Amino acid sequence: MPVDIYWRIHMEGDQPSLRRRVRSRGGFAPGGTAPGTRDGRDDGYTHADYMAEVARAAEESGFVGGLLPNFPHTDDPWAAAATLARETTSYRFMVAFQPGFLHPVQAARMTATLQRATGGRIVYNVISGGGGPAQLWWGDKVDHDDRYARTSEFLDVLKGVWQGGHTHHGRFYQVEDAGLPEELAGQPFPEIFFSGSSPAAIDAAGRHADYYLSWLEPFEALAEKFDAVRAHSATPPRFAVRVDLLARESEEEAWEEIRQGWQARPRGGDSGGGSGGGDSVGVRRSRSFLAEAGDDPRALEVAPNVWGGFGQLRDGPAFGLVGDYHQVAERLDQFLDLGVDAFILAGIPHLEEARRVGRHVLPLLKGRTS
Amino acid sequence: MTHPATARFHVVLPTRSAAAPELPAFVTDVRPALTDPAGRSAVAADLAGLAGALVPFDPGGQESLAVAANVLRRTRHLRVVAGFHAAAATPVYAAKLSASLQRFAAGRLGWRLAVDLDPAAARAQGDFLTGPDRQARAGEFLTVAKGVWHDGPFDFKGDFYEVAAGGFGLPLSASPFPEVQLSGTSPEALALSRRHADVHVFAEGDDLDALVPELPGLRYGVHLTSLDHVLDHVAEYARRGVSEFFVPAEDVYHLGEHLKEQALAG
Repeated sequence: MPVDIYWRIHMEGDQPSLRRRVRSRGGFAPGGTAPGTRDGRDDGYTHADYMAEVARAAEESGFVGGLLPNFPHTDDPWAAAATLARETTSYRFMVAFQPGFLHPVQAARMTATLQRATGGRIVYNVISGGGGPAQLWWGDKVDHDDRYARTSEFLDVLKGVWQGGHTHHGRFYQVEDAGLPEELAGQPFPEIFFSGSSPAAIDAAGRHADYYLSWLEPFEALAEKFDAVRAHSATPPRFAVRVDLLARESEEEAWEEIRQGWQARPRGGDSGGGSGGGDSVGVRRSRSFLAEAGDDPRALEVAPNVWGGFGQLRDGPAFGLVGDYHQVAERLDQFLDLGVDAFILAGIPHLEEARRVGRHVLPLLKGRTS
Repeated sequence: MTHPATARFHVVLPTRSAAAPELPAFVTDVRPALTDPAGRSAVAADLAGLAGALVPFDPGGQESLAVAANVLRRTRHLRVVAGFHAAAATPVYAAKLSASLQRFAAGRLGWRLAVDLDPAAARAQGDFLTGPDRQARAGEFLTVAKGVWHDGPFDFKGDFYEVAAGGFGLPLSASPFPEVQLSGTSPEALALSRRHADVHVFAEGDDLDALVPELPGLRYGVHLTSLDHVLDHVAEYARRGVSEFFVPAEDVYHLGEHLKEQALAG
């Protein structure tokens, strides 16, 4: 079974490096260098132009596509995928969304339209967690555990609509004789990457996920989580891990990059998941690993090359890999041995690091040894 | 008395792919599949200098917001209006998606909310709401979408939607809210337009002399179903204050070079 390696595409604007926590690319910070403004005036470029470059760099560098995440303060992944659909060749758009946002018929229609435009390159990252205050920000008042029941029903209806002639009267959705018109019918149904660390999530994942997607956690914690998913699933899904990388020619060079960012970091800026995290169990798990750490960045290296301070240097989860190209490739190989079948990698800035990782890290991967 | 308005033309983009004509078997045929009918017409409309394009809500065709995103990306000046119905998405999410499209396309997106749907078509979209409730929901939908577009906190508790501490920050909130186009002739539809529309769009045959005075302060549009005698119709509608003309997208360059020029000269 080949391993699909994705590259994250930032929807929150990109930083020029981990040394300075400023999202100057994409119009999210005043005075950004590119694109969007020049000499204080609009320059005719938009965030979509920069994202298009990241997508093209990713597809040229050996990645099958990218994860387009979604938080209250970010650009929207459906908008981005639909905007860039016809500007890429092989790039798969992994669109993150919560079932509460769209009706399943609308989701089916949008997806099928984009499958036609891309030749079947849409992938889902279905998210049900988050929650808390952020969930009411979205205008969604369904409770945490109910959201997984809704997700299951949403995906049932979506698949039914995809097949056609679907009638459903359920707890969250009803449709009558719903299907896709001839113009949209017959497209491949997207692969589903399913996120969520709570028991309710793992139950729902068992029914619908092609891939169970987790943030990077220390090896034992990840192995434990995968075991829980396997135990809850009649047919176990494949596993995917979302991993930030900071890989350099030498180990010293990589840690020097971290040290510079650490010294310049805004204090108290750990964002967990990028938006406060709400009632996300995944965010709580990540934070608990960091509770005992001191102020030396190297103290957050919880296992060789596994560093838990990324949340201090940019938006997003805590853990990532730091090391030279060979070390980082070896760690990724270890995840394959742990049962990982797909990666979503990321580095900052997303454009240059896509090319670096494609050139220097991916060629060193050896694959599963067992 | 309404003053004659300058005519602005908007093409109604195709949402279904036309079958290519059969070529004789002996002719080498390497034609690519036509998967982007709207994009091609939209580029033509932009090059021809037309004002805008409508991607209609079409249950039998491609999905309009996804098509609009592609059309906006492929054009520079064209204003692009996406037609959709209120049950398709939450108002917060529709606004969020649209805020990004506005950022990617310099504020050229508009919304045509499809409020009156055929009941069977609505149920096939998962929407079982009927009667005047449909206008009530559309009103809440637009109130919430406009409310969250700006810096928060925005709170709302209505019959259909609830938001707590909502509101976009910069830069999402910096773009203009999509131009809102509505239609319909019922009292509820007219009330909804008075409250929320930038443009009220009529059908051919609507009694504009009676309806326009009910909708003060808006711009008015009309769908022309045929291009026969179109300049006569345009002049007649313009006298009643109509400024936005929605026309079928056949032969877009012809529309740009002949119809638009003559209408402006006339």
